[in-house]
Amino acid sequence: MMKYESQGVAKLYFIAAIGLFTGQILFGVVMGLQYVMGDFLFPEIPFNVARMVHTNLLIVWLLFGFMGSAYFLVPEESERELYAPWLAKLMFWIFLVAGALTILGYLLVPYAQLADLTMNDLLPTMGREFLEQPTITKIGIVIVALAFIFNIGMTILTGRKTVINLVLLTGLVGLAVFFLFSFYNPDNIVLDKYFWWFVVHLWVEGVWELIMASLLAFVLIKVTGVDREVIEKWLYIIIAMALISGLVGTGHHFFWIGTPDYWQWLGSIFSALEPIPFFMMTLFAFNVVNKRRRDHPNKAAVLWALGTAVMAFLGAGVWGFLHTLAPVNYYTHGTQVTAAHGHMAFYGAYVMVVLTMISYSMPLMRGQKAGNQKAQVLEMWSFWLMTVSMVFITLFLTGAGILQVYLQRFSEDPLPFMVVQEKVALFYWMREVAGLVFLIGLILYIYSFFAKGDEVVFAED
Amino acid sequence: MNSDELQLKRASKAALFSLLNLTVLPVIGFIILLLIYQKSSSDSIDHYYSVIGIKTNVFAGIALLLVSGLMILLGGFDSPWTWVYVVSYFTFVHALFILFATWVLVRSWTGEKLKKNILSK
Ligand code: HEM
Ligand code: HEM
Ligand SMILES: [Fe+2]
Repeated sequence: MMKYESQGVAKLYFIAAIGLFTGQILFGVVMGLQYVMGDFLFPEIPFNVARMVHTNLLIVWLLFGFMGSAYFLVPEESERELYAPWLAKLMFWIFLVAGALTILGYLLVPYAQLADLTMNDLLPTMGREFLEQPTITKIGIVIVALAFIFNIGMTILTGRKTVINLVLLTGLVGLAVFFLFSFYNPDNIVLDKYFWWFVVHLWVEGVWELIMASLLAFVLIKVTGVDREVIEKWLYIIIAMALISGLVGTGHHFFWIGTPDYWQWLGSIFSALEPIPFFMMTLFAFNVVNKRRRDHPNKAAVLWALGTAVMAFLGAGVWGFLHTLAPVNYYTHGTQVTAAHGHMAFYGAYVMVVLTMISYSMPLMRGQKAGNQKAQVLEMWSFWLMTVSMVFITLFLTGAGILQVYLQRFSEDPLPFMVVQEKVALFYWMREVAGLVFLIGLILYIYSFFAKGDEVVFAED
Repeated sequence: MNSDELQLKRASKAALFSLLNLTVLPVIGFIILLLIYQKSSSDSIDHYYSVIGIKTNVFAGIALLLVSGLMILLGGFDSPWTWVYVVSYFTFVHALFILFATWVLVRSWTGEKLKKNILSK
């Protein structure tokens, strides 16, 4: 069912992605419980370690997901086999082993000792959120990324060039280039924060949007049969808007970190425009599905694609805008409002777009046009369980955040941090319940791959 | 441009201003929507979409402004819990209205009425 045999390497990447995703969520619910029962699993898994594992697994599995997606998409768009399938397989194992060793390092060795062990002194890069990996792991990531970009780059350059695969390539090159900032670790903490955001912000509100838009466009073309020309026009506008708003929009992280005042204006104005590309993606997805030429048998993939567009708009667009203007951020900076936004945005945009690609491509790699009836029903159930529980996680954290802001920062006689944490505990309990439902959704999702049932009857062809 | 095309154009304009009234052009968007409604003849597609736009926005006005206003009135301006409810409610429900108006806009571009489900043709 695949058009090119080498697309099949994506399967390895997707299986690893789903495995690590499961790990991420398990650590999420452990932490959710630690929020209300402080000594749960202490000293075996301290909160700070669980947090690092949770966020690092997220980043690593999304990278697996992006790479798998690219390996599936690029041959088909370029109309040729992958330049070097063996390299893709080799890099898979290197990345998996390096990733697993790093996570084990976090769990088994105290962080400071891990820094010693991996000779952080030689080129200190550790100790910053999301970028906690030992320097040697970071170098490994760069090698894997270079080999990956070489592989898909050569495939594209020697094959058919489409707007979709060129946008994807641009996004992936951007991902690799911005990661290089993580090797620069200046002593001046303000400067350090600048460069930290050049990785984190320019990823999720810059180049990753290109990756997301191209993956979404690919799946939408496949499941709707809508003309490429229509889709390409949308892609141009989305990308232009993403870069125009997102680059200077980085300033919304420079409000209170010892930077010049003008960032409050620049950051507020430009980041206020950042919802536009996400909104355009929603409009685009609705429009394309509305104009579809055929009903694809893979209904689950269509659902994921629409869900991605909607949830990314909610998480990044709406919940991002909520706290992005400097006068608001003055109060909400670093509160649970931030965590609410971080969860829904990461899930809605990047988790969901990877799951969309998996949903579309996995059946094809297993020799079917679409999953069987039962598998699709289960998958759609898992979609709703995970998505609705993420909406609730977001709402509960938003509630906790507003209460926190009010009691700790807004009221006439502000209360201390920990006193306030006690007062918002009810929200944390509810978040934990929603997190468990999310986990159930994920288990159902995994199970759906093994479900047997009747083949879906095709509407046409 | 024949009258059919003109109607279609006005229909999508109505859907657009309904969305704009919910987002960056409150009040002004609604006034323009009313003007489009006035110009349309009943039974036409532009009439259909301007009525949907007006209904959506009146309903949104009630659901967002009135309900939030009541929450503040009943909960008290100085209670943190009021703001927990008002901000979460307003943000979420407002976003749902925007999504609905967006879908209506997309439908209006095809010149068909809403009815059809987006997942099955
Ligand atoms: C899919 C895209 C996005 C993702 C994955 C994302 C994720 C995140 C995460 C994880 C954080 C917390 C970072 C930290 O301090 O550890 C954050 C912070 C922030 N995000 Fe986003 N975001 C996205 C898009 C947006 C957009 C479009 C906006 C604005 C419209 C925005 C506005 C903000 C602001 C203002 C903060 C700082 C919060 C604070 O001061 O504590 N984000 N984002
Ligand atoms: C796909 C789903 C998920 C994604 C994408 C995700 C993503 C994230 C991100 C980006 C952060 C860092 C937030 C920040 O810097 O503001 C984080 C922290 C956290 N996550 Fe998740 N997460 C997910 C699921 C869960 C679940 C199910 C739970 C548990 C109920 C959970 C509990 C937590 C906790 C407790 C933190 C630490 C917050 C803090 O430091 O105060 N997460 N997650
Ligand atoms: Fe940002």
